[in-house]
Amino acid sequence: MQTSTHSTPPVNHTLSKNQIAELEKVQSLTQIIFAQFKEHKAAVIGAYTILFFILVALSAPLIGKILGVNSENQNVFHRYKAPFSTISAGIDTRETAVRNYIQENPHEAILVQTELLKEEFVTSAHAEDALYDWARYEKRKALAAIRYLNVNENIKSDLRQIAKKFETFHVFGTDELGRDVLMRLIYGTRISMGVGILVALSAALIGLLIGAIAGYYGGFIDSALMRITDALLSLPTIPVLIVVCAIDLQKIPFVNSILSTGSESILKLVFILCIFSWMPVSRLVRASILSLREREFILASKTLGATDFTIITRHMFPNVIAPLLVSVTLGVGESILFEAALSFLGLGIQPPTPSWGNMLFNAQELIYQAPLLAILPGLLILFVTISFNYVGDGLQDAIDPKTIKR
Amino acid sequence: MINFILRRIVQTLIVIVILSYVCFGLMNLMPGDPVELMISSNPKITANDVIRLRSFYGLDQPLYKKYLSWAGDIIQGDLGYSRTYRIPVGDMMGPALAYTLILSILSLGFSLLVAIPLGILCALKPNSKVDYLVNLFSFAGISVPSFWLGIVLIIIFAVNLNILPAGGYQTTGMQYESWLDEIFDKAKYLILPVLSLSIQSIGRFSRFTRSAMLEAMRNDFIRTAKAKGLSAQVVIWKHGFRNALMPLITIIALSFSSIFSGALITEQLFAYPGVGRLLYSSIIGNDFNMAMISFMISVTMVLLMNLIADLLYGVVDPRVSYK
Repeated sequence: MQTSTHSTPPVNHTLSKNQIAELEKVQSLTQIIFAQFKEHKAAVIGAYTILFFILVALSAPLIGKILGVNSENQNVFHRYKAPFSTISAGIDTRETAVRNYIQENPHEAILVQTELLKEEFVTSAHAEDALYDWARYEKRKALAAIRYLNVNENIKSDLRQIAKKFETFHVFGTDELGRDVLMRLIYGTRISMGVGILVALSAALIGLLIGAIAGYYGGFIDSALMRITDALLSLPTIPVLIVVCAIDLQKIPFVNSILSTGSESILKLVFILCIFSWMPVSRLVRASILSLREREFILASKTLGATDFTIITRHMFPNVIAPLLVSVTLGVGESILFEAALSFLGLGIQPPTPSWGNMLFNAQELIYQAPLLAILPGLLILFVTISFNYVGDGLQDAIDPKTIKR
Repeated sequence: MINFILRRIVQTLIVIVILSYVCFGLMNLMPGDPVELMISSNPKITANDVIRLRSFYGLDQPLYKKYLSWAGDIIQGDLGYSRTYRIPVGDMMGPALAYTLILSILSLGFSLLVAIPLGILCALKPNSKVDYLVNLFSFAGISVPSFWLGIVLIIIFAVNLNILPAGGYQTTGMQYESWLDEIFDKAKYLILPVLSLSIQSIGRFSRFTRSAMLEAMRNDFIRTAKAKGLSAQVVIWKHGFRNALMPLITIIALSFSSIFSGALITEQLFAYPGVGRLLYSSIIGNDFNMAMISFMISVTMVLLMNLIADLLYGVVDPRVSYK
C-alpha cells in the first residue's frame, strides 16, 4: 500500500529558505501602498513629471546662469522673437560689462587696449576707447579678436566671459517686453507650483482641524461647522474668488500688517485660495473620524485616561493620513488651475512676478504676433495638473483596501 | 415632502440673505468709493464737499445701515443704476442672464451628450483600449485650464482656419431675414465658448458615469435580467443606467455650479455678454450696483440648482424620503 502511494511522483512542496523568507516577510502598509502605486503607470509617470518640475523650479537660478539669460532683462527692440533665436545685446549692456571690467582690472585693461590697437582690430582715436570699440563687434568677431591678442590666458578668459554677454540665446523666444520666455516659464514654475502646493497643504491643515473638531465632538459644534462647510461648498467658486481678490486688503488693518511685504499678491492669493478650498478635506476628515470614534482602540485610550488632544492627534490622525494625502495631491492641481484662472483675469499674481497664469494675462491679444506665448504656459499648467491628478488617482487606488492585492 | 421643500427653500433664502450682507461688506472693502470717483473727476472739490457728499449719499453710515437701505430698495424692485453703462441695472441684467443661461445649459447638455455614452462605453468594456483612451481624455479634460483651451481654440479655428468667430455673440450690424438666420448666426458664435466650457465637465462626467455604471452593472438584478433573456440594450439602459443615474444627478447638479461660475472666464475670453462678464467688468470698473446684483444673481442661480438637485433625488429614486 505504502509503496503504491509513493510511486506517484512527489510534488515538490519544499521551498528554498529564501523563498520562505520572502513569503514570510512582513510588508508594512507603506510598502504595500508603494508597491500598489507603482502598478499605476500613469501615476508613476506623473510623479516623475512633478519631480522634474520641482527640480527645475529649485534650480532656476542655476539654469539662468548656464543659459546666460535671466527672467527680468527687458529689451524692447527684440520683442516677440521666434524660438531658438539669438539676440545681440544692446550697446548699453555691452558697455556696462566693459566698464565694470575696466574698473575692476585697470592694469589688464590698459594692456588689452594697447594690444587691440597694436593688432589693428580697432581703430580708436584714444586708447581708452579701444575696449569699447571692441565691444561693438558681434560675438564671433569679438571672440576671434581675443585669440590673436598677446596677453595671458586669464585675461583672455575674462574677455571671453564679457564677449559671451554680447549675444543671448532664447530657446522659446522673447515676450512682449523682450524677456526670455523660457526663464520666465521656469520662474513661473516656482510661483505656480509653490502657490499650488502651499494652498493644498494649508487647506489640508485647516480642513483637518475643522473636520476633526466637528467629527470628534459632534452635536452642536458639528452641525454648526458643517453648515458653514456646506454653505461655502455651495458657492460659485470663480465669482466669489473674483470678488474676494478684488478687495483692497489695505482697508483691513489687521491683514494689512501681515501682508505688508513685497510678495503681497502671492500671499494674498494663497490666503484667499485657502479660505475656499479646505471644505472637501474637512468633510472627508469628519467622515473618517466619525467612524473611528466608535472603534475599540479609541475606547481603550479613553479608558486609559488619554486627553482629547492625544486621542485626536495620536490615534485618529494616523488613520486619516492616507485619504488626506490623496486629497492634498488632487488639491494641488486644482489650486494651480485657480491660481492660473485668477492671474489670467489680472487678479492673482501681479506682474512683473511671472506665474503661468499671468503669462497668459495678455496672451489673448498676442495670438497673432506670438501664438507660442499663449500656448506654452498653458501646456505647462496642463502637464503639471494632469500629473498631480494622476498621482492622486494612483494613490487613491493604492490605499483603497478593495483594490489591494496581496 | 412639502415640509422638506419648504424647509430647503427657507434655508436657501437665509443663505442668500447672509451672503448678500457678506458681499455688501466685501464690496465696501474694494478700492475706491463713489465719492472718491467724483473727486478724481472734479479737481475743484474741497474736503468739506467730500464730507458733505458722503453724508448726503449716506456713505458715512455704518455698514448695516447702508446694507438695510440697499436691501430695502432691492425689495421694492429698484436695482439701482449702473455707473459705467448709465442705465438701470435691471435692464442690463435680464439679457445678460439669458445669455449666460443659454451658454451654461448648452454646455451642460453638450457635455452630458458626450460624456454619458463615453462613460457607459468604458463601463461596459473596462480596461480595454477605449477605456484607457477615454480615461486619458477625461484626465486631460479635468486638468486643462478652460481659458487656455479657449485661447488655443481661437488660435486654431479663428486665426488659422478662419472658420469661426473669435468672440462676441452675433455678427455686428447684421439684419436678420428670418429667425432661422438669427439662430444660425448666433450658434456660430456659441460653438467655441461651449466647447471650451464643456471640456472640464465632460472629463468629470465621463469618469463619474463610468464608475457609477460599473457599480450598477455589478448588481444581482443585472444578472437576472440577462438570464431572463432581455436584450443588451434593455439591460444597459433600463436596468443598469437607471441605477447609475442617482449618483450621476448629484454630480450634474453640483457641476452646474462649476459650469455657471466657469462661464465667467469663458465669457470674458470670448467677449460674450453674460452675467459673468458683467460681474468681472463691473468689479474692475468700480460699478458697485452692477457688481452686487450680478454677484447675487450668480449665487442665487447656483443655490437654486442645488435646491433643484435635492428635489430631483426623489424623482429618480423613490426610496429617498424627505425627512
